[in-house]
Amino acid sequence: MGGFLPPAERRSSALVALYVATSLLLLAAGERLPQAMLRGVGAAVFAPLDRVIMAADRVTGSWRENRELHQRVAVLELENSRMRTLAAEGRLLREQLGLPGYQDLTLRPAEVLALTGEPHAASATLSSGAQHGVRSGDAVVTSDGLVGRIGEVYPWLSRVVLLTDQNAAVACEVESTGVLGVLRFAPAPRPRLVLTLVPFADTVIVGQRILTSGLSRRYPRGIPVGRVARLGTADGGLTQEIEVTPAARLTRLRHVFVIPGPADARGTP
Amino acid sequence: MKGLGAFLIGMIVVLLLRSTALSPLAARGIVVDVLAFATVFWALRHGAVWGATFGFMIGLAADLDATHWMGRHALVLSIVGYAIGRLARTLERESGRTQLIIIGLAVAVHQAWVVPFELGGLAGVGSGWPYLLGRVFVGALATAPVAALLLVAARRLTGRSVFGHALVHPG
Repeated sequence: MGGFLPPAERRSSALVALYVATSLLLLAAGERLPQAMLRGVGAAVFAPLDRVIMAADRVTGSWRENRELHQRVAVLELENSRMRTLAAEGRLLREQLGLPGYQDLTLRPAEVLALTGEPHAASATLSSGAQHGVRSGDAVVTSDGLVGRIGEVYPWLSRVVLLTDQNAAVACEVESTGVLGVLRFAPAPRPRLVLTLVPFADTVIVGQRILTSGLSRRYPRGIPVGRVARLGTADGGLTQEIEVTPAARLTRLRHVFVIPGPADARGTP
Repeated sequence: MKGLGAFLIGMIVVLLLRSTALSPLAARGIVVDVLAFATVFWALRHGAVWGATFGFMIGLAADLDATHWMGRHALVLSIVGYAIGRLARTLERESGRTQLIIIGLAVAVHQAWVVPFELGGLAGVGSGWPYLLGRVFVGALATAPVAALLLVAARRLTGRSVFGHALVHPG
């Protein structure tokens, strides 16, 4: 059998066999390798190139975006003044009832350098890292809503695990009714975000907003996650399966904000 | 040395394209499988050894970028690179029709292998097979014509055959 192929072909067959064996070994035991370090090196190599490529896209979009943002700032300033009054009332009422207050959020801006994953981006590389105070586990948002959490931190860059990662899970509640559930990404039969573990006894209506519940200590309470798009039944028929349209535009991320997590939860993925 | 430089630049360009320019398209369900196209290109141009090596290396880089299931892209792309590199001897590499079919097949094989991992293995394929078929067909239909057109454009612009520098006996 060894003499069946010419020497050059035997060498190439041996090489591809080596590649196949290495790939199979990685499939079996790849999770145990220090992948974060390798990804950090890769991110550092690609970050300057990503910046150059994204710059062209950003320059073309910035003029239109600037006009829209001016309009939005005016609307939000009006809304903000009304909200301040309501917040003061809310704080007073919570004090009187002896309930804990809401956590004031610190927002650290960061630029999205690259999105990874096909067909749906499952992670993103950010321009901020440990040197900018970013820690593993911090929540990441846009002005529209929740994007994900920091999964890996490098000195000058970091990597966000987006809501569309299959391992992501966020404790959520339905606005105003307080119905609780866990948001997950379901890739099949069609990719979508799903609020799971919601009992049939709880009433949920299409169009209601979904917010972070604060039960997961990583995400502060009250961050918009999305809106109820469709109601269904989970496999097994024991709970509801609620399809959610994400609040943040996960496919068109340019700038995000990192929210530092609680001090005792920081640094853990 | 020159060949190694082209190898590395090719890898970097493909990975950059995938994570920037092509990601908004992928999010709309149109996956232009630039990994499979680049592997086919390399295999047709440089033969089985380089095709398999390019496929393995670029697959490994894509695996590392994807966080989960390391080795899935590397495995299938190294085999695709090797097989097409071996076939390159008997193919009319400059034919647009051949390129269209080869690239379409490579994309189909690549997608058919990697998508079940996203669906959670064989159990997920049971319920998600329409999604799997959709990814395979859309991927092949989106990638093959674009890639074949790019090769035609490259041939017209440079005025010489794209695979003209391939070895007489690749691999």
